Amino acid sequence: MSFRKRGVVLPQSGSASSSGSSSPPSAAAKEQAKGTRPSPLTGTPTTSTGTSSLDSLFGGHSGLVLGCSLLIEEQGTTDFGGAVLRYYAAEGVVQGHTVHVLGVGEAWGRELPGLSEEKPKKEVAKVDGIGREREERMKIAWRYERLGEFGTSGREKTPTTSTFCHTFDLSKRLILPSPSNIHFTPLSTQPDLSFEPTDPSVSPFTKFLTHLQTQLSSSSPMTIHRIIIPSLLSPALYPSHASCPEHILQFLHSLRALLRAHPATTSALITFPFSLFPRSTGLTRWIEMLSDSVIELAPFPSSSLQVKAVPGQEEPAQGMLNIHCLMGGVGGGDDLSFVLGRRKGLVVRPYSLPPVDGDQEGQNPGGLEVEGGGKATKVDIEF
Amino acid sequence: MASKVPPLLEPYLALPPEASLILLTSVLGANTNWLVLRFLHSALASPGDEDTKVVFVSFVRDFAFWKEGAKRLGLDLEKLAAKKRFQFVNGLTALFVPGMQIALVGKAGERILSNPALEPVSREILGSIQNLKGDRGRILLVVDQLDLLLAAGSEHIGVVGLGDMLMGFREEVHSTVTTLAADFPLVSVQRTPLEKDHAAFLLSVAHQADFTMGLRLLDTGTAKDVSGVIRITVGDQLIEDNRDIQQRIEERELLYFVGGDGGVRVFERGQ
Repeated sequence: MSFRKRGVVLPQSGSASSSGSSSPPSAAAKEQAKGTRPSPLTGTPTTSTGTSSLDSLFGGHSGLVLGCSLLIEEQGTTDFGGAVLRYYAAEGVVQGHTVHVLGVGEAWGRELPGLSEEKPKKEVAKVDGIGREREERMKIAWRYERLGEFGTSGREKTPTTSTFCHTFDLSKRLILPSPSNIHFTPLSTQPDLSFEPTDPSVSPFTKFLTHLQTQLSSSSPMTIHRIIIPSLLSPALYPSHASCPEHILQFLHSLRALLRAHPATTSALITFPFSLFPRSTGLTRWIEMLSDSVIELAPFPSSSLQVKAVPGQEEPAQGMLNIHCLMGGVGGGDDLSFVLGRRKGLVVRPYSLPPVDGDQEGQNPGGLEVEGGGKATKVDIEF
Repeated sequence: MASKVPPLLEPYLALPPEASLILLTSVLGANTNWLVLRFLHSALASPGDEDTKVVFVSFVRDFAFWKEGAKRLGLDLEKLAAKKRFQFVNGLTALFVPGMQIALVGKAGERILSNPALEPVSREILGSIQNLKGDRGRILLVVDQLDLLLAAGSEHIGVVGLGDMLMGFREEVHSTVTTLAADFPLVSVQRTPLEKDHAAFLLSVAHQADFTMGLRLLDTGTAKDVSGVIRITVGDQLIEDNRDIQQRIEERELLYFVGGDGGVRVFERGQ
């Protein structure tokens, strides 16, 4: 009786369910699109923002949940949010996702960070064929090869070996594949050469919405879409009537509707400079309420930044990261800070005040006092 | 395991008396979704009561979200819709996106709002109410984020028109629950028309409400085991005409915690 074989697989707590054996057969049978993985918390598919520490911010989901949007607000004149957007776009390009960008020109797409070369050779090889690459096939996956080609065009294979989040290098440029899978849609305003005043009753977002709608409804269910909206409502890009609640809120509501209508294939990242639209205004609050997750980047004023990092010490923080609301949000109220580095990208970490200059003891880790007044080095403690 | 309906909230979640209006307010980061789901649960899951029916209008969330949440409480909304006890009115998917409703026509238990003007919205919701009402049964109307119409709708949608619409619904149903945002920027300074309208609408609904359940974040910052504060305030009318509901409704302030699995715990300060 007690030795009867149980047919039930016990759920393993904490397993990332990336390996096929730990997930139930139904989930294993369901093919995952490239660059996505199920959330360990709820099983809903998630994708990477291209910034691994930002992914881990999403608490149990450990990735941006598909069908949802993330709003990044930024104070001041810096463009850290823009860097995050570029990582997000670059990750999409590398994974073969379709990327939709609103309001900016193709030049924006030429400035995406390239893949970091510190990766093993296999990763570098991906750069040339991006998305449609002939990925080196793992031996165990050989018998599934045919299955991959069976459904769609064959490029969305079960990513047994694929990376969820790549590492990028800001000093390199990503070579876009041709034909490019990035679509740039301008705002629907008057063409440049006409002198008629723009009609403020026409929403500048209509063209983008129609574009998204046709793209989303006509694409295969295995194509992942990334929607990118840089500097929402910034006067450099947007006409003044775009900030009418009627236009902007209807647009965000429609975007939300589109995301929800395609819950397994879409995600959106929006940056919003709020020097002109402070958080104390009702419009900003509505924009936040229509997004699923809201974080704020508050860079430190440049005067207080340390010019050069002390070697052997971690780089000083460049600003604070405030979470206003987050799906599967992290509990606890640790103050978070961020650093944007050339190699590591944006790193989010708990904020700690740097040791005061000249405080040698504070800068010397492991310098514990032992009896007799001497310093105990690491060697002394380890026995 | 957290119970489905927190015991401390049971008196408030029970089916409210006839013609009552209950206002739930939220702020960013402290949403009313869990509370709305518990209202649905207490109206639809009480055993032996087949008469209570729910018309649920949601302007910022789709049916899949609510279905998922209700399933965790052991409530199958689709089944209830098939039994004519529940009707979902979708105010998200096609409200401002032309052509979206075509793809969705025929989904069970769902009505889609596709015209953001007041008159068609009102007609559609009233139609749902009539459709469900039949000859007997009490309808609980739940409207999630009606303020979206005011904020994002065209300039023809005003506070008075929206208030009238809500009043029109209340004439047709047993009782109404509505959620509105009560964030500080939306009600305090009132410089732009958006803020003025929002504040005016919120205040007018709050004055009509029999009681208000206000959710907000913890004043002292975030905590690992507390999601926010829920404050229950009794409305003007109840104090005036001293109905028997007053015995049930007690003004109080409680803390709540929403777990990752959707379970909710409500407790007093210091507990």
